[in-house]
Amino acid sequence: MTRVPLTLSINGEMHELLVAPHWTLLYVLRTVIGLSGAKENCLEAECGVCTVLLDGKAVNSCILLAEQCRGRSIVTIEGLGTSGQLHPLQEAFIRHGAVQCGYCIPGMILTAKSFLDETSGRVPTRDEIREAISGTLCRCTGYQKIIDAIAAVAAETKGGT
Amino acid sequence: MRANRNLVAGQRLPRLDGAPKVTGRFVYGADFALPGTLYGKVLRSQVPHARIVRIDTGRARAMPGVRAVITAADIPATRFGNAIKDQTVFATDTIRFLGHPLAAIAATSVEAAEQALAAIEVEVEALPALYDPEAALASGAPLLHRDWHDYVALPFISRDGNVAGRTRMHGGDVAAAFAQAHRVYENRFTTALQHAGYTEPRAASAAWDGGDTLTVWTNAQLPFEVQTTLADILGMPTSRIRVIVPGVGGGFGGKLRIGVEHFAALLARQCGRPVKMVTTSEEELIAAHPRQAAIITLKTGVDRDGRILARQGRVIVDCGAYSGSGPGTGAVALQCLVGPYRTPNLEMESLAVYTNKVPSGSFRAPSGPMANFAVESQMDMIADDLGIDPLELRLRNIVRDGDTGPAGEVLRAVSIEECLRRAADAIGWHDRRPAPGRGKGIACSWWMTTGGSSGVYLKLNTDGSVNLASGAVELGTAALTGAAQVLAEQLTLDLEDIRIAPVDTQSTPYDYGAQGSRTAFSVGNACIAAAEDLRRQAFAVVARHLGLPADEMRLQGKCVVAGEHRVPLSEVARLSQLGGGGLIAHGTAINPPPAYDAARVENHPLPVWNTPSFHAHAADLSVDRDTGEITIHRYVVVQDVGYAINPTYIEGQIEGGVSQGLGQALSEEIVYSDGRVLNANLTDYKMPTSLDVPPIESILVECPSQAGPYGAKGVGEPPCIEPPATVANAIAAATGLWVTSLPITAEKVLLSLRKEYPQAVDHRDSARD
Amino acid sequence: MSFTVHHPASVSDAVALAERYGADGRFLAGGTDLIIQIHRKRLASQHLIDLTGLAELRAIEDAGDEIRIGALATHKAIERNPLFQGALVALAEAARVVGGHQVRNVGTVGGNIANASPAADVVAPLLALEAEVVLQGAAATRRVRLRDFLAGPGRTMRGDGELVREVHVAKPPPRSATAFLKAGRRKAMEISVVCVAARLTLDDAGRCAAARIALGAVSATTMRAEAAERALEGALLTDDVLRDAGRLAAGACHPIDDVRASARYRRLLVEALVPRALARCVERISGRRS
Repeated sequence: MTRVPLTLSINGEMHELLVAPHWTLLYVLRTVIGLSGAKENCLEAECGVCTVLLDGKAVNSCILLAEQCRGRSIVTIEGLGTSGQLHPLQEAFIRHGAVQCGYCIPGMILTAKSFLDETSGRVPTRDEIREAISGTLCRCTGYQKIIDAIAAVAAETKGGT
Repeated sequence: MRANRNLVAGQRLPRLDGAPKVTGRFVYGADFALPGTLYGKVLRSQVPHARIVRIDTGRARAMPGVRAVITAADIPATRFGNAIKDQTVFATDTIRFLGHPLAAIAATSVEAAEQALAAIEVEVEALPALYDPEAALASGAPLLHRDWHDYVALPFISRDGNVAGRTRMHGGDVAAAFAQAHRVYENRFTTALQHAGYTEPRAASAAWDGGDTLTVWTNAQLPFEVQTTLADILGMPTSRIRVIVPGVGGGFGGKLRIGVEHFAALLARQCGRPVKMVTTSEEELIAAHPRQAAIITLKTGVDRDGRILARQGRVIVDCGAYSGSGPGTGAVALQCLVGPYRTPNLEMESLAVYTNKVPSGSFRAPSGPMANFAVESQMDMIADDLGIDPLELRLRNIVRDGDTGPAGEVLRAVSIEECLRRAADAIGWHDRRPAPGRGKGIACSWWMTTGGSSGVYLKLNTDGSVNLASGAVELGTAALTGAAQVLAEQLTLDLEDIRIAPVDTQSTPYDYGAQGSRTAFSVGNACIAAAEDLRRQAFAVVARHLGLPADEMRLQGKCVVAGEHRVPLSEVARLSQLGGGGLIAHGTAINPPPAYDAARVENHPLPVWNTPSFHAHAADLSVDRDTGEITIHRYVVVQDVGYAINPTYIEGQIEGGVSQGLGQALSEEIVYSDGRVLNANLTDYKMPTSLDVPPIESILVECPSQAGPYGAKGVGEPPCIEPPATVANAIAAATGLWVTSLPITAEKVLLSLRKEYPQAVDHRDSARD
Repeated sequence: MSFTVHHPASVSDAVALAERYGADGRFLAGGTDLIIQIHRKRLASQHLIDLTGLAELRAIEDAGDEIRIGALATHKAIERNPLFQGALVALAEAARVVGGHQVRNVGTVGGNIANASPAADVVAPLLALEAEVVLQGAAATRRVRLRDFLAGPGRTMRGDGELVREVHVAKPPPRSATAFLKAGRRKAMEISVVCVAARLTLDDAGRCAAARIALGAVSATTMRAEAAERALEGALLTDDVLRDAGRLAAGACHPIDDVRASARYRRLLVEALVPRALARCVERISGRRS
């Protein structure tokens, strides 16, 4: 099968790859590079577990061709923080009991980050936060503690993170 | 809640696996892959019921990248199953549902495997199909399992043709009581197939070591059941099958029964390489283990004051093509259909019935929501008809401490009155119809804490920490964090001092599994027993070391205290390693069922409920009279948890359970037409989004049990039981009518308001208050 | 599944590629629908012409009498743009309910139009606003009415080599307002069971000077409810008049039964939502609610 060369910037690191044109960013992250923080489920942009940041904005990596990311910056959950140095959102999700099975959580946290950066400079309302995460399904939590966690970070940081 | 004197148990501590989960480092079953793995895919039938004429895999075998192809012809036709061994790995001669596995392929990529699937030629001859369980019960209906009589089944199960299980509970004289009743009400309720909706698809990786030992990494809820099922299928001793559970991205009962492990194991054996399988959303919706659709008829006789004289009910659960969890699910519906009400005369029957649809499973509180939807909707209809407040009607009928339950058991730690009153207070019951089109509803129930045994091993480490090895899987509920809190409390440790070992059937002790609201309860109890063992051994080590009597020692502040001496547990571990091979402790637990009257129950796997919990829910919602749209403003749950081991995660269970229950109430259904699923994708299978779930207020009641750790009762399943009934009753308060078919979509509401929908009970012309 | 992705450096390069590959070529904008269709094997294009790099197609410009929306303007860009906060707010209201934030961050207006789904949310307000579509081919550029552009479910009058370059929306006269309403089973992540967009202009006496009503998911393409529009024009917009418009619109549509809803329910929704959308326009014009 044909492979085309592609350089991707992922979590600040440049990756020189050979990709098949139909490979999605999610496939490349999980199977080629070995970053499994972006999760796999519906593959049709309905569940949001595959969410990553593309030029700072939350996108579904399952329906984005890797080739569409040429020259753009990709951040996955692995690029946000580590166990030793958690991002404020990661810390808040733990503190507020927002994590159960955790499979949607990387996508939730990145969606929240993108949204808070978008509303930077003001504190979004709880309803706005509720709306902002509506593209990411969580089956465990009923969303309430996730919203608590995001609202707490929003209040601490005035939006942007 | 009562004052909590414990330092670790009962505290709102963060879960032990939080950091790896929020940083994306936690490895789930779907993430796990072995080096050099192949990828497996299953060919599934495109027709619901047919005789297989021919399956030709010749072209597929020759396709690039294909390394293994298996059909029924390649393996023994061993039957397996949970209650009834009625399934084979692949359809042998008969296809019984659309989605039935016909073949499996392993290839170097998912894509190559999918292309090869498309190259398999299948020729079939259609058979007349049955989609409606009532039609399957009719005399003269075709038998879906001609050999049903030869199937091996658990001894208590009563079967007959298309009936995979029949259970009865009875007491008193129902006919006489109906004859004397002031009023008799009879209603019919229907509910839909609901997928468990875990966000992580089912996944498994399998590898063979030298040909006779298999290791499977899977996101299963019951690794020990996977092990014995694989042993059945592969004809191998269980000890040669090792099942390891990496992480699980939600289960809710949907990952109880075997998923794709057997396909991975068979393919890996054939090609001598590791094989990984992950299901697609389409496979999940056409061929996983959803909650059964049910048809419930309920007849209730009451006196002038609304006191229940008799109840007669019949529950039909649609098992689909194979029995799965159907017989047990049908059976437990009966206790739920009686409800937490004094019922002097009762006659309840459940039937689990085969049809040509997806084999169903046991989703969280398996038949609880369906039975509760029936009984609690009807309680409100009765209240409305008699002109009695629905809360008052319930208070007149609820069970009290010392009453007998449906199986004749004595009920203890009964808290239903407190739950009802507090839920009513919290929702503002005095103002039940605050505005036109707005109404408040209430519903209550009881539920069991499932029994089954648990074992744990503890290993004391030289840094003073303790490894906890349990065969119970952490599904995400934080039940293992809860058990660890109990353990830490017992050993005077901090929660962070407990390390939870990954589940591995080779090294972790047996556990009946992460199911039935039992994990924190039962593993917690095993931890208490193991802590006692660890203390005993630690005291013996210190006694030998210091020459002091062990019976005067105690644990305090992570130390063994003996008179003036304080020996840290880290030192105990070191001493034990020097002279005793290290310190390993063991504990087990089982919660025996209470005594009951066997004459009242027939063919029931769980004839009497262990350590029941009690709960009440209330909702405040609006109905858009022009579109039928429902908007829930507030939702209140009052749940008796016995003792809140970790209030944060109990609230998490409540909030998540309510969300799933609201999905069942309002939007979720796997829709079949002529044996085909019309919505096999997450665009049209509608689970609640963040905008669909209202603010949920959790109120925890602690009426301690005699059996659970610190008085705890089972917590996980109950929150999804009452939402459908609560919503139905609130809609009725707002509109004067009950929709008796789940999900209660906006379409059904609007058509009911216009008298264009038959499955509704309309009291608008006779409303009394 | 095998194709080549092309990354043209300019619009004319993109159009030249499209011309060259004809029916084998396909423009790739946000890809939020295209990639799914390819993966479901409903589409087998051999050449994808990736427009992502063409910044010139992203602009949303105020050109005096009209607003020009570049085909690559994302739903998020529409939702956030102050040009769509006044009389054109229906566009922002529609853009805001397309998928989740992740989809709105990449999904484009041009893609939504070219896709021609009868349930496309953004198409309804554009149709109510009598938008025009600028199509660029290798040889010529033409400007067509959106209502003519939409030919059927998934079908448009766009030629193989033509690119949807821009959408033009005329600014409505004073005393005008728009509104968009959508019904689905959930409150987010829904493909419309029905959506309704309305544009209303009142005269100084408070009578209806012009009304435009677009209905989504109730016929082969997003449609205009013209009988209802005519019944409104010149009338004082009493509740009865609005209700009649709803009935006329419901009578004019051709909904189907599917897994999302019955035709009957869709018709009842049109009957309910059309008066509601019109009433919202009236409120917005009279400044009672923004």
